[in-house]
Formats: sequence, C-alpha cells, structure tokens
Amino acid sequence: MNNRTELISASTRAKRKMKHRILTILSDGLWYVVVIAIALAVMLPFIWMIVTSLKGPTEVFAYPPTWIPKDPQWSNYIEMWKEAPFGRYFLNSAIVAIAVTIGQLTSCVLAAFAFARMEFKGKNAMFMIFLSTTMISSQVTLVPTYLVMRSLDWIDSYQALIVPFLANAFGVFMLRQSFRTVPRELEEAAKLDGCGRFRFLIQMLLPLCKPILASQALFAFMGNWNSYQWPLIITNQDSMRTLQIGLRYFVSGEGSTQWGVYMAAALVVCLPVIIIYFLVQKTFVESMASTGLKDI
Amino acid sequence: MKRNRWFFILVLAVLLLTSCGGSKESKTGGGGKVDSKGNVTLEFWYALGGDSGKAVEELVKQFNDTHPTIQVVATYQGNYTTAMAKVYSAITGNTLPNVAQLGAAPLLGSSGAILSIEDFIKADSSFDKDVIYPAFLDYNTAGGVLWTAPFNNSVPILLYNKDLFTAAGLDPEDPPQNIEELLETAKILTKASDGSGSPSQWGLNARDDTHWYLSTFFLENGAQIVSEDETQVLYNSPEAVEMLQMWSDWVNVDKVMPPNQHQESLSDFLSGKLGMLIGSTSVVSSIQTEASFKVGSAMFPAVGDVHKMPLGGGSLVIFKNDDEQIRNASWEFVKFMISKDSSIYLTAHTGYIPIYKDATNWPEIQAIVEENPLRKAAFDSLPYAVAIPVFSALGNSDLALQNAIEQVELGTASPQQALDDAKTSVDHAIKTQFQVTP
Repeated sequence: MNNRTELISASTRAKRKMKHRILTILSDGLWYVVVIAIALAVMLPFIWMIVTSLKGPTEVFAYPPTWIPKDPQWSNYIEMWKEAPFGRYFLNSAIVAIAVTIGQLTSCVLAAFAFARMEFKGKNAMFMIFLSTTMISSQVTLVPTYLVMRSLDWIDSYQALIVPFLANAFGVFMLRQSFRTVPRELEEAAKLDGCGRFRFLIQMLLPLCKPILASQALFAFMGNWNSYQWPLIITNQDSMRTLQIGLRYFVSGEGSTQWGVYMAAALVVCLPVIIIYFLVQKTFVESMASTGLKDI
Repeated sequence: MKRNRWFFILVLAVLLLTSCGGSKESKTGGGGKVDSKGNVTLEFWYALGGDSGKAVEELVKQFNDTHPTIQVVATYQGNYTTAMAKVYSAITGNTLPNVAQLGAAPLLGSSGAILSIEDFIKADSSFDKDVIYPAFLDYNTAGGVLWTAPFNNSVPILLYNKDLFTAAGLDPEDPPQNIEELLETAKILTKASDGSGSPSQWGLNARDDTHWYLSTFFLENGAQIVSEDETQVLYNSPEAVEMLQMWSDWVNVDKVMPPNQHQESLSDFLSGKLGMLIGSTSVVSSIQTEASFKVGSAMFPAVGDVHKMPLGGGSLVIFKNDDEQIRNASWEFVKFMISKDSSIYLTAHTGYIPIYKDATNWPEIQAIVEENPLRKAAFDSLPYAVAIPVFSALGNSDLALQNAIEQVELGTASPQQALDDAKTSVDHAIKTQFQVTP
C-alpha cells in the first residue's frame, strides 16, 4: 500500500513536473514569438532601407516587392558621395553634435544641481519659467534667434550651429528629478567628511545618475545630428553645412528621386547614431527601468 | 512680492537681449561683392533637388565659365517652402542673396525686397520679352507688375500604362482626350482580380498636388479661380462645383479612383497597379527609367474641347542692392538663365518645358521629343498654357482646395459645401493676410 501511494505520487510528481516544463516552454516560446514579431516590426523600415539602397531605379517600385535585390547596385554607395560633399558634412555634423552634447550636459548638470540641491530666492518661479520654455515651438523662435545670430555676425559659423542649443530646459528637468531621488543624507555625510558641493556633484551624484546622463547625451546628440531647418537657415557655404541638408539634395520635389542612392546615403548618415546607441545601450536601458519622476 | 521681482528682472533681461539685436542693424546693401578690379561675386539661392538641382548647378557653371568678370556662387536652400522661409528670415535680417530661384516668387513684390524684372527689360534693348509665351509672363506678374523671370515651368499631364491598356483590349496609342473618354477608359482599367470586391487595379488617380489638377478642370469648364481685383476666390461657382462633383463621382459612384490615396499614386503607377496617373510634366524625362512597363503620355484631358493648363514651377528673382554693378551683373545672370540655350539645356535635362513661343520649331527641342516621345504631350500643351493669377493667399487657397477634395472623397461634405467652406476660409485669409515689410 505504501509502495503504491509512493509510486502514484512519484508518477504524478513526474507528470506535474512534465506539465510544468511544457507550460514553461510554451509560455517562453509564446513570449519569444511576440518579442520577435515586435522586433521585426520595428526593424522592418530599416531592413527596407537597406534593401532599397541596393536596388536600381526600376526595381524600387517593382510589384510584388522584392526582398532580395535581383541585381544588387553596390555602386549606389559610391554614387552618393558624388551628390554632395558628404565628407565635409560628416565632419561638421560630428563637430556640432559632439560640442552640443558636451555643452548641453554641462549646463544641464549645473543648472539641475542648483534647482535640486540649493536654496535661493525665487528658485521655484525661475524653474517654472525655465520649464515653460519647453512649450514654445522652435518655429516661433526661429526668426528672433536668426536675428540674434546675425547681429553677432555669426551666420555661416560653428557658433551659430552650436550656441543656441547649449541650454535645454527638458534636460534640466530630467536631471533635476533624478538628482532629487538621491537621499539628502548622502550629501550631509559627504559634507561632514569635508566634501564640497562641486566635488559631491562630480564624484557622487553624477555616477549615481549615469543612466539619465547617458540618455540625455543620446537625446542631445541625436537631436542635433538630425536637425535640418536651423542649419539650412543659418548656413550658406558648403563648408558649414551638415548631413541632413546633404540628404535633401537627393529629393526632387517635382522631378524624380533616385531612391536607391538616396537610401544608401540615408543608411550611411544614420549609422553613427546606431553605433552610439549600441555603445550606450546598457546604461540607456537601465535608465528606462529606473525613470522615476518621484519627489516632484 | 518676491516672485514678482524675479519676473520683472527676467522681463528686463529679455528686453535687453532683443534690443541688442535691433541696435546693431547697420548693413543695408544686400549680398554680393565687387573687388578692386571690378569683378563681381553674386550669391544665388535655388530650391531644386535631384536631377533638376544638378541641371541648375551645371547652368551656373556654364555662366561662370563664359563670364570672367562675374562669379556666381549657387547654394541649395531646400524645397520651395524652406527656401521661402529662408528668404523671409533673410529679409528681416538683411542677409539676402542677389538672385534666387523660388516658387510663388512674384508675391515677394509686395515685400519691397525685390527689383522688378520689367524695369530691367525696359532698360535693356537686347532682350525682347515678346518671344516668351504670354502665360509664362502672367505667371510671374503680381499686381500688374512683372516682378520675376520665368525659369522652370511645368504643366499638368496624363500618364498611362501602355501594357495595362493592351491587356484590357484598349489601343495603347489612343489615350483619352477628354473627361468622357477618361472615365470610360478608367472603368475598363479598374479591375478586382481577387474577388474581394475592392479593386486590385485602379483606373485613375492623381498625384498629391491635387489642387493643381482640380484647378485645371475648373479653368477648362469656364470657372474662375480668383476675382479680377484679387479680393476673393470664385471657385464655388456652378462650373467649379460640377468639376468637383465629377471628381467625387470617380471615387464614390464610378469607383475608378481610390479614395484619398494621392500620396501613393506615383508608386502605385510605377508598380503597375494603376492604369492612368494625372501628374506633372516635370517627371516625364525620368519616369520611363523607373517603370518596368511602357509608359505613355497625353495632354491633360479636355472638358468639352477646351484645353487650359495652368502653369506650375519656379521663377528667378533679383533682390534689391545698393551697388549698380551688382544689380547689372544680377540681370546679366538672369538673362543667361532664361536664354534660349539655357532653356534648351533645362528642358533636355529635366521634365520642365521651354518658355519660348517658337521653341517647338527648334531642332534641339524636336530632337528631345524624338529621343523621348513622352515629352511630346508636354510640348503640345504649350499653346494652351495659362497662369492662375498670383494672389496673396495662393498658399492658403491650394491647401483649401486639397482639403475640399479630401472631404468629398471621404464623403464628409458635398462638393458645394466643401467649396463654399474653402471660399470662406481663403477670403478670410486674403483680408487678414500678413504682409512682410522690410
């Protein structure tokens, strides 16, 4: 009798174990199917861009669409460099985007620290005014900013491409929120040990807020890398223009656009952003998980 | 109280900053340079990308090679919209170039920032404007003044898929000539092959500048776009409503045109899913290289036997300048760009049409047709070209017409109602139009 119950329970246990394993495999499998499907949906435009960049003019619009180009046009990647001085544009875009990213992070960190950790008169009013500037669209400030640049004689210069973007209200807001989540006791303990404000910011606060800094840096870099209207308005010489303007050389509003070459150029232009994303991806994803707008 | 003080300081700071911008205004001359030897450097802005942009650059190069004392620096400034935004910024900032190629350029006449081409022509006996089709001059006239010079122009046209014509038992060399034939042909070309009831092959569609094609039908049916004094638009007349009703019927009654799919119409046509496409002549020079079937072209369908094609495209403007030498060099450059040789070059390398009355008799233009028969319909259209008067709210009007078309295609308004609404909003825009003053 004893043996039998043991036997039964052993077999049910084994069965249960099996059932559990099958369920895990099933749910995991289902999860992977869903995730892969979403990933494919997100990647589809990218894949299509790569596929199109290898097509000749006739194949671009072929129906049904071909996923593997019948006659890969690698020459599209050579052709694109002839359309516009992309080498120079790459250099300009890199200088501008890196300068803006460094400058914006510096100003945002300092301002956010003041707003989060220091007490001064009118702090809240100032912060509110600062935040309210995020509501003003860039089209509204386009002409006034242009006039300021002109009166400084900065048209066609790196300054004009960089300086207007050195402050960013949204960045200050994000960093302030994340600075405030760090316990005050930490700062007091540091102070007791003789650590000054600036050192506390550099050595303790910033490492703690690395994910937010990384995402802010990515936003700043990407925003500038992709900007089109301002560089177009403020520059006239080829030697001062940036990548996004170069891309527009391919687009003909009324005539025909060479889609293959255009897509090859688009891929080359967005490559740096993709590479940077992969480099900071780990810290970036961390920040998504820990984005807490606590303690407002 | 404390809060108020901060506001006050901030407002002061802002005022200070803005006043700084104004106080430094000193330059009044405009762009361009003259060196000690009398050599002139001109700044030229253009708004054409792709093949057309390359053709413009080549023309500038030719000018520089043949004019040792004048050097033109050409800069691409985005499409018509961004280029115009840049010009307006430059007017307020006094950083204008010398010459520009722009869309809706005659409207700049009221800004006070440009010189009228008419004055240059009057002072220059070597240039005879009567050799140019009057429609091209009208297209560049605003308020009775010829402000700008015609440069790159196009007219609406009908493109069709010859292979689909043959497959449907139609004669690929006999495209529809008028609106009755257009509908008849579109019905034959519309097919539902998969049995779902929704056609897998459509008979007809128009490209996304729908206002232009609807305006063409308006004019051909005797409707007017804008009143003589340019204070109101007139397209809620019975003649206009009749044309929008026809357009609406194509979508909702005859079901030969897909509703609201004008953005995709060119790619649908190129992938062989669309029989006929109403578009611009500006694509005809390159469309055959992108299509895997035989493309045909025909003049824009007539209403009754009336052909009237309103011009589209861009013009050349000369901006004010204190230096007479620069002004003369600017005119010299514009004269070169609109000369017979340049017109032939532009026509050969883009889909634009020549601006000269006798152009179709020139052997060079005939050679272009021989090489690419698709170009013929565009040149045949030349005698029927007309200009829609350039009035202050033209941009609003184009959008209002596009909106009206979308409404009737989606069935949210009747043609009469949609056009009444369009008229109300455009008339209001004319009255309250923001005018740029330097």
